[in-house]
Amino acid sequence: MNITEKLAPIRKGLLEFVILKIVAGDKVYVADMLKLLGPTEFATQEGTLYPLLSKLRREELVDYEWQESESGPPRKYYKLTQKGRTQLSTLNDYWKDLNRTLAEFGN
Amino acid sequence: MQKVVSISLNGIAFQLEEPGYQQLRDYLERAEARLKDSPDRAEIMADLEQAIGEKCSRVVGPHKTVVSGAEINGILQEMGPVESAEEEKRADAAFESTAGTSSSTAPSPPPPDPRKRLFKIREGAMFGGVCNGLAAYMGVDVTWVRIAAVIITLATSGVVVLIYLGLMFIVPYANTSEDRAAAFGAPFSTQEFLGRAKKKPEDSREYDRWRREWRRQQRHWNRQWNHMSEQLRNATAQAVPHMSHTARAITGVFLPIAAIVGAVLFVAWVLALVSLIAQQTVFGWALPHGMPLWVGILVLAMLYFAISTPLKMIRHGGRQAAGYHPGWAALHGLMWLGFTVLFFWIAYTVFPGVHELVDQLMWAADLTVSNISETISVGSWY
Repeated sequence: MNITEKLAPIRKGLLEFVILKIVAGDKVYVADMLKLLGPTEFATQEGTLYPLLSKLRREELVDYEWQESESGPPRKYYKLTQKGRTQLSTLNDYWKDLNRTLAEFGN
Repeated sequence: MQKVVSISLNGIAFQLEEPGYQQLRDYLERAEARLKDSPDRAEIMADLEQAIGEKCSRVVGPHKTVVSGAEINGILQEMGPVESAEEEKRADAAFESTAGTSSSTAPSPPPPDPRKRLFKIREGAMFGGVCNGLAAYMGVDVTWVRIAAVIITLATSGVVVLIYLGLMFIVPYANTSEDRAAAFGAPFSTQEFLGRAKKKPEDSREYDRWRREWRRQQRHWNRQWNHMSEQLRNATAQAVPHMSHTARAITGVFLPIAAIVGAVLFVAWVLALVSLIAQQTVFGWALPHGMPLWVGILVLAMLYFAISTPLKMIRHGGRQAAGYHPGWAALHGLMWLGFTVLFFWIAYTVFPGVHELVDQLMWAADLTVSNISETISVGSWY
């Protein structure tokens, strides 16, 4: 098992965190999210992203609004809810703790 | 030369070469199967269709109107396999539990058996899934429950049908793995669950064939129904972003009106039901001679759902698309409740017949409640 494969579950688990971070900025369209994620370790596809977003929406962490586009039907633009913001800051803190723990163990 | 198939993806038309069409259909079917457990299945499917549609419109132009099979293949590769977020959660839970046992030296106590609850079970259901759920609850084969249901129906000249309908509306569907575990009173994997729900006696070929036919017919109806309601919902939902401010304001006015109409319908329906049961007439109209009471009730129920469902869809679509704050939805619900109570009160004070009926009903309800509580206390001793 190579190293990328070994770390796949970690990336998968962090995807939700990453999505919340992206959505926290400006209202985003799914295609833009994919473009942002594309060159990173978290490159992902619509088949994964849409179900994840709909789960986050059901958990009331994100919400969307319809916006017209020049080409084709109106698009869903996602944004963070208040609950999502709270969750994101909790996740950020947790992430810092994890980093600290890792650092404490040394190399 | 290639045969071309015209399709619509979330409302936009495309022309696909036939092999591409097959691929796309397979992809969407697989996606739908994977999302079986997701309550947002319809919405995710619409999202996926829209995403595929956008990718398709990128490869067609004024001089190229057909999407080739190879292009569809590329698009589907880009989309990637659909993974249900629900399934991930289940996998995570499994991971957590294994991690827990391996790290601790003391054997962790087995998880307590989930409390058994009555659910409707969709998988392998004939009609509403009530019999299937009852079978799971009692731990017997569903065939026995169905046979018993038919016999009791015949013996009670159809009263059980009402109970069935009642259960159908009250009992929830087992949608998550936790629900399913509770339905059987024991944890089940999805595979086991499906196997169990679909288990059937092997010798009854005739019965099987008949059941397949019935299921096919039902699927057909369901599809038509879903298609219709989805179209209605999408139409309202898509119309809203295009609306001007005045049109939006009109929607804002329309939603409360829809709430009033909904409330009036609901009150009329309940009153009609009560008067049918108590006096065998609906607002002075007697049942046709020889028609049993339960048929009348069934007809009333169907009539109500036929009228109220489209209204509900429009309300839902309008509300969702207008991007209302959740508070709006709550307000809307409150409005509906308020109007319902108001109309009940008006009916109660204005029509003496209604007054009488309600009093009668209160008396009857009082009786039933005490009967039920007695039965329950006896049942719990048993």
